[in-house]
Amino acid sequence: MSLILLRITIALYSIGLLHSFLTIITRKKTLFRVALFGICSGFLSHAWSILYTWRETHLPVSNLHEALSFFAFVIVLAFLLSYARYRLESLSVFIFPLVFILTLAANLISSPQQPLPEILKSIWFYIHIPSTFLGYGAFFVTFAASVMYLIQENELKRKRPQAFYYRLPSLEICDELGYRSLSIGFPLLTIGIVAGALWANKAWETYWGWDPKIIWTFITWLIYAVLIHYRLSAGLRGRRAAFMAIVGFFFVLFTFIGTRYLGTAHPYIQR
Amino acid sequence: MANMNLVLVGVSHKTAPVEVRERLCFPEPKLREALQELKSRYDHEEGMILSTCNRVEVLVNTTNLDDGVRQVKDFLCDFHQLRYDFLKKFLYDFTQMEAIRHIFRVASSLDSMVLGEPQILGQVKNAFNCAQTAGTAGSVLSYVMSKAFFVAKRVRSETGIASSAVSISYTAVELAKKIFNELSGKTVLILGAGKMSELAARHLTSSGVSRVLVWNRTYQRALDLAAVFRGDAIRPEELFKHIEKADIIISSTGASSFILNKADGERLIHLRKNRPVFIIDIAVPRDIDPQINKVSNIFLYDIDDLRNVIDANLKQRQREAQFAEEIVRQEVESFLNSAKAMDVAPTIVSLRNHWESIRQQELAKSKNRLGPLTRDQEAAIDTLTQSLLNKILHGPISELKTLSRNPAAKEHIETIKRILGLKDR
Repeated sequence: MSLILLRITIALYSIGLLHSFLTIITRKKTLFRVALFGICSGFLSHAWSILYTWRETHLPVSNLHEALSFFAFVIVLAFLLSYARYRLESLSVFIFPLVFILTLAANLISSPQQPLPEILKSIWFYIHIPSTFLGYGAFFVTFAASVMYLIQENELKRKRPQAFYYRLPSLEICDELGYRSLSIGFPLLTIGIVAGALWANKAWETYWGWDPKIIWTFITWLIYAVLIHYRLSAGLRGRRAAFMAIVGFFFVLFTFIGTRYLGTAHPYIQR
Repeated sequence: MANMNLVLVGVSHKTAPVEVRERLCFPEPKLREALQELKSRYDHEEGMILSTCNRVEVLVNTTNLDDGVRQVKDFLCDFHQLRYDFLKKFLYDFTQMEAIRHIFRVASSLDSMVLGEPQILGQVKNAFNCAQTAGTAGSVLSYVMSKAFFVAKRVRSETGIASSAVSISYTAVELAKKIFNELSGKTVLILGAGKMSELAARHLTSSGVSRVLVWNRTYQRALDLAAVFRGDAIRPEELFKHIEKADIIISSTGASSFILNKADGERLIHLRKNRPVFIIDIAVPRDIDPQINKVSNIFLYDIDDLRNVIDANLKQRQREAQFAEEIVRQEVESFLNSAKAMDVAPTIVSLRNHWESIRQQELAKSKNRLGPLTRDQEAAIDTLTQSLLNKILHGPISELKTLSRNPAAKEHIETIKRILGLKDR
């Protein structure tokens, strides 16, 4: 059932993705209503799919299939929150390709539902994982806003406006969105890491296992910590801040997917 | 519409130089007189005149298309006392659907000198209002013009034809908005109290910039200009003390060398804690070292850069104009369809044919029963039935003709056709 819902979800997200691109290309705002319909209804069916599995077993983040789907879900949530605040149609063009890929991958990869080991059953499970994921979702918005910033800045510096100049929001808005999402994502990731440590202590009686995933998460956290620090103290903004946020997100992706291949023993890949 | 015989004759910036256009111009006070003459002298049923600095166009609803074109041309020559041989090579004329297409394009600003400029729609509306007050705008013109306004509105809302700036000042405002998003709460610094910078500053303040600072080599002039904007003047020696307050700098001093170089720019951004600065250098020779644009968060545009942006904006408008032309095409087509539905001539013909064939059948039947008749008697019966038929049909036909003049009566005509058992042919 949840798999059928996920199929419906990807169909609806593709409508959203397609119409986002059409909106930006033709600059007809009316087309974005269709995109928004696709995105919102896709989000609902996605939520239903996740809740369905949750009711049967537990929060579905215990294998790769579920993790990809959940990651896509929190990104859409982050997008919808950003859209509610800023009404930037162009943001969807930068967000939804990844959402589409993640949801598609989740559709193609089927991994069997694994029961959560007794030892890991704890309230921390429901804090550690959602808040880490939500933090990553927020960082993806930071990433998209930074890419938009760099493109628009390049247009303005080159002084020969082309397609993007007319279609992307102002530098101020890109920078503000990047900063806001960063300042929401960072505390979430921090909470996620702390909750993870407390959980590890409860389950394995150590706060800090030298697992590749943990190390890379920490490096990612450090990058964002430095970025936030410079933003607050030295007024770092614009181009350099955007670059750092983009680099930071590549670390997020590597932490999320790449560390699988370094032989991690991290929860959702316990097999 | 049975009674739609539209003729449009005119000149525009595309066909005639200003020397010709100005001689054809109808100044506002003379417009009423011209409209009256247009209507009374010829058998035009309706007429309106659009006279702007870029075009003069006369639109009439007449009785005969061929005569109409010639008559309107005569009218233009006579009214302005010009010779036709002189005028003819500048004039264009359109009839019926071509005229409608032209009106739609003009109202949508697709035929304007600056593509998409917004004034033309107001001018067209004004011309139509004048015709209404002069009593020369009837139902056909009203219908056509209301369609034209509708098309113009559609073009404006569905295409980006007027969305980007095409003047130096507005382009500067637009660029500032692409950097700062909102201009409220921003400060503009004017370097050199010249006319150009005053104009640019005026556009910026009307777009929301809240504070104006003026710096000039002679302090008094700075004070004068600052007073105009209720801003503050900066003493000549204190420029670098205040420059960091400015989010936007407009420079047009008469200086012969750069007054800001790259090192100044780096220091400025450092002082501003990386908050961006938009510098507009409209001076020739330039006031600001172009290298300053390389400093992160500084955006420098000189006069040529602004022109480049305008060129790009115009190209955008041209691209959008293609969508607009498509809208005009659709609307002309839909106008054509409704005009076809309004045309009652085929209905009248089939109505007559239908009853005539009934008459003939009945005549043939009666002939057998009446026996041999003289030629006179036969003629008398024929006349009798004929005039009976004419009397019966007179009401419906004249009603149809009246209805066809009213564009809102489309549905009534459909109903009448149905009642009389007539199919569309």
